Amino acid sequence: MSAPATEFAAPAGTERRDPHAVVEVVDVSVNFGGIAALTDVRLSAREGQITGLIGPNGAGKTTLFNVITGLQEPTHGRVWFGDRDVSGLPPYKRARRGVARTFQRLEVFGSLTVFENVLAAAEFRRSWSNDDTPARTVAAEIIRRVGLSVVADARVDSLPTGLARLVELGRALATRPRLLLLDEVGSGLSHEETEALGDLMVDLTRDGTAILLVEHDVELVMRVCDRIFVLDFGRIIATGTPAQVQKDPAVQAAYLGAAPESRGGPS
Amino acid sequence: MAIFLSFTVIGLVAGCVYALIATGLVVTYNTTGIFNFAHGAIAMVGAYAFWQFWQGWGWPAPLALVMVVLVLAPLFGLFIERLLMRPLRGAPVDLTLVVTLGLLLFLVGLAQIIWDPSEVRNLPSFFNGDGKRIGYVLVTYHEVVAVAATVAIAIALRLLFNTTRTGIAMRAVVDNADLLAMAGGRPIRIQQLSWMLSSSIAALAGILLAPIARLDILLLTLLVVDGYAAAIIGRLRNLPLAVAGAMAIGLGQFYISGYANADWVKRVQYVIPMVVLFAVLILLPQDRLRTASFTGAVAPRVAGLKASLVWGLVLVAGTMLVSTGLSGPNLRTAANGFALALVLLSLLLLTGYGGMVSICQLTFVGLGSIAMGKVGGDGGSLLGVLAAIGLAAGAGFLLALPTLKMRGLYLALATFAFAAVFDQAVFTQIFGTGGNQTVARPNIPGIPTGSDQAFLVLCSVVFAAAAIGVLAFRRGSLGRRLVAVNDSPAACATLGVNVNRTKLVVFTASAAMCGLAGVLYGGVTKQVDANSFAALLSLVALLLARIGGINTATGVLLGAFTFALFPTFLPHLPDFLSNQFLLTGIAAVSVGRDPNGLGGRIAQGAEKLRELLGLDRKLVSVPVSSDDGTAAAVFLEEEGRLVSAGH
Repeated sequence: MSAPATEFAAPAGTERRDPHAVVEVVDVSVNFGGIAALTDVRLSAREGQITGLIGPNGAGKTTLFNVITGLQEPTHGRVWFGDRDVSGLPPYKRARRGVARTFQRLEVFGSLTVFENVLAAAEFRRSWSNDDTPARTVAAEIIRRVGLSVVADARVDSLPTGLARLVELGRALATRPRLLLLDEVGSGLSHEETEALGDLMVDLTRDGTAILLVEHDVELVMRVCDRIFVLDFGRIIATGTPAQVQKDPAVQAAYLGAAPESRGGPS
Repeated sequence: MAIFLSFTVIGLVAGCVYALIATGLVVTYNTTGIFNFAHGAIAMVGAYAFWQFWQGWGWPAPLALVMVVLVLAPLFGLFIERLLMRPLRGAPVDLTLVVTLGLLLFLVGLAQIIWDPSEVRNLPSFFNGDGKRIGYVLVTYHEVVAVAATVAIAIALRLLFNTTRTGIAMRAVVDNADLLAMAGGRPIRIQQLSWMLSSSIAALAGILLAPIARLDILLLTLLVVDGYAAAIIGRLRNLPLAVAGAMAIGLGQFYISGYANADWVKRVQYVIPMVVLFAVLILLPQDRLRTASFTGAVAPRVAGLKASLVWGLVLVAGTMLVSTGLSGPNLRTAANGFALALVLLSLLLLTGYGGMVSICQLTFVGLGSIAMGKVGGDGGSLLGVLAAIGLAAGAGFLLALPTLKMRGLYLALATFAFAAVFDQAVFTQIFGTGGNQTVARPNIPGIPTGSDQAFLVLCSVVFAAAAIGVLAFRRGSLGRRLVAVNDSPAACATLGVNVNRTKLVVFTASAAMCGLAGVLYGGVTKQVDANSFAALLSLVALLLARIGGINTATGVLLGAFTFALFPTFLPHLPDFLSNQFLLTGIAAVSVGRDPNGLGGRIAQGAEKLRELLGLDRKLVSVPVSSDDGTAAAVFLEEEGRLVSAGH
C-alpha cells in the first residue's frame, strides 16, 4: 500500500506496536459459527486525532466496535488501551478506562428525556470516577454543545433518528472519554448539522480526545480524519491519510467493484 | 431387582407423560414463538372433561377419549388461537407471559367452578388397572397405553416436521411468518393447526397422568409444569432431546422415591423437575446484552415528591377515617389488601421499572412471615421485623446471583421453579404437614398495634411510606440508572455501569420489601401455613400488578385491593363468575395487555384533566430533520419549556 510501511504495517504477534495509540486492536478475528466477520484486524487510534474506519456494509465495522468496547469476545487477538491489555475486561470496566461509544442501531434510554439520558451518563461517571463536578452542570453543558437544547425535555423515543444519534453522542461525551467511538453518528442529519458535527469532532480532539469514526458520508470523513483504515470482508485492506486512501486501488476496487486482481492491495 | 424394575416402569411412564407435555409445548413454541404457561392447565381441564364424559355421564371410555382428545381439545386450541394467541404475533415476551398466565388462572378458576374441588373425584386407570405380570413386575395396560401413545406421537411428529410440506412450513412460520406468507404459505392456518395439535396432546397427557397422580385441579396444573423442565432441556426446539430429558427426569424421580427412606428425601422427588429446570436455565447460554423492556408502552409520569407525600397522607388519613366504621373481618381484609399492595409495590420496582419478571414474590413473603414468627416471638419484637426483611433479602440475593443474566421467559421460568421448590419441599418441611406458624404483630414502643383497627392503620402507613420511597428512588439518580439498564443494558455497560450489580441490588431490595410484607401478612391473621405462600399466588401477584398497572403506585394499590376485597364482593356476583382465579385470569388477558393497566388509565385521565384546566400549555412546531428529509416535530410547551414531543 502507499502508506509508509514503518508507520502502519505491523508484523505478526499480539504485542502492541503503535506507541502513540490510545487504543490498539491486535490481530483480532471474530467468527460467527464458521463465518469470519473479522480476520486478523490490526488498527489503532491516537490521542488528539480522528481516525476513520470505512468500508462497505457488512465489512465488520460495528463488530470491531463491539470487540473494542467488550460487547463481543474476539475469537482471537487482543485489545490494548494505552499500555494496558484490556482483552479480558467486561464492557463496564473498559468504559471506566475512558472509552465511550455510540451505536449504529440506536441504544438510547427511550423512556427518559434527552436531558435525563445525558444526565444519567454523567451520573454514571460520577459514580466510578473521582470527578465530582455536579452531573447536572455537566449534562447542561453537553446538551448545549451537541445542540440539543431545544428538545432537552422531550422523551427520546419520540425523537427522529438523527436527533437520537446526537443524544447518544451527548451521552458518550458525558463520561468524558479519552477514546470516542462514533458509529454512523452523522446519518439522519442535514448538511448543516453534519458540518456542525464535524466541527464538534475537531473541537473535541483539541482536548486530546481520540476519535474512531465509522461514517458513510465520505465528504465528512475526508474532511476531518487524520488517518483512515479501510475494512472489507473483515480485513483491513488499506491504511493511510485521506489522500492516500482515496488513491488506493484496493479501496477503489472494494467500493466500485473493480478488477479482482487489485483487491489484495499492494503491501 | 423387583423393586428396581417396578420403579423403572413407573419412572418410564412418568417420563412418557413429561415427554408428551414437553412435545406439546415445543410444537406451539416452534410455530408461534409463544411459550404457553397454560399448557398444564389445558391438560388438567382435559383430564376433568374426560372424567365428566366417562365417569360423570357414563360414556364408554374410548368414545369419551375421542370426544375429549380429538374433538374438544382441538376446538379449544382453535378457539384460543383466534381469541388470544393470534393478536400476540410479534408481541414482546412479557405480553405473551401475561396472556398465557392469565389463561392458566382462568382455566383453574373455570375448573373450580365446574368441578367443585371439595368433592372427591376419582379417575380410574384404563382397563380397570389390569395388567400383565412380566417377571416380578406388574405392568398395567394403562402404562402400556401411555408409553405406546408417547412413542407413536413422537414418531408422528418427527415425520411431520421433517418430511411433510406442512411440517416444514410449520418450522418456517416461526422464523419469518411474513416471508412464508409471501412464498405462498398460510401462516395462520399453520398456527391454528399447531394450537389444535398442542391442545390435543396436552389433553391426552392430562388423561394419562390423572390416574397415576390424582384428579386434583392445582396438583395436575402444577405437575405438568414438571414437563416444562424437559422442554427446556430440549431448548424448546429439539424434540428428541426434550424426550430424553423427560425420561431422565421421570426415572430419576422414582428411583429417589423408591430408595430413599427419610421423609425429606421423599419430598425431594417432587421438586426434582423444578431443580432440573432451574439448573438447565442457569447452564443455558443466554443472549448477549441487548435492549429488552417489559413496558413497551409509554409509562405514565412519575409522581413528584409533593404529590406523593400528599397522596400518602390522604391514604393514611382516609384509612383512619374509614377504619372507624369497619368491623373486625373487614378491618383484616383491608389490612390484607395493604400487605398485598406492598408485594405488588415490590413488583413495581422490579418489573415495572427494572424490567425483570419474578414469579416468586410470595415465596419471599413466606420467608418474611416465618422469620417474624420465629424471631419475633409472642411479643412481636422488632428484631423479628429485621429478621424478616433480612431473610427475604438474603434469599432474593442468592436467587439473583445465578439468574442475573436471564431475562424474559427464562427469568420467569427460573423464578417460578424457585417458588415451586419452596412450595412443595421447603415450606411443607418448615410447617410440617398441615402445620402452621403463629406470627405476632410487630410491637412498636409507644404505638398501639394490637387492635385490628390500629394494625390496619399501621399497614397503610407502611405501604404509603414504601410507595413514597419507591417513587423517590425512581426520580433519583439510582432510579434513572435502573430505567436506563432496562432500556438498554448494552449502552449502560459501555457507559461504565455494572449492569449485573444494579440488577442484583434491585432484586434484593424487591425481595426485602416482600419480607416486610410478610410481617404484615402474618400479622393480619396472626397465623400462616404453607398454603398462604403457594407458587400459584406469586403468579396471581404478577398478574394483579399488571392489571392494576405495573408502573404506578396507584395501579399497584388498585390491583391489590380489587383482589383483597373479592370476598366482600363475592355474595353479589353471579355464580359463574364467583372465582378469584377466573376473574383475575379474565382481567389479565384483557386489561393486563396494557402494561400501564388501570392505574395508567387513571394517570392518563388525570393528565388530560390537567391539560384541560391548565391553559399555560400550547403546541409549538420546531423544525427538525429526520430520516426522510426534514419534518416538523410538534412539542407541547409549558411555561416556555418543551415537555413532550411527537412527529
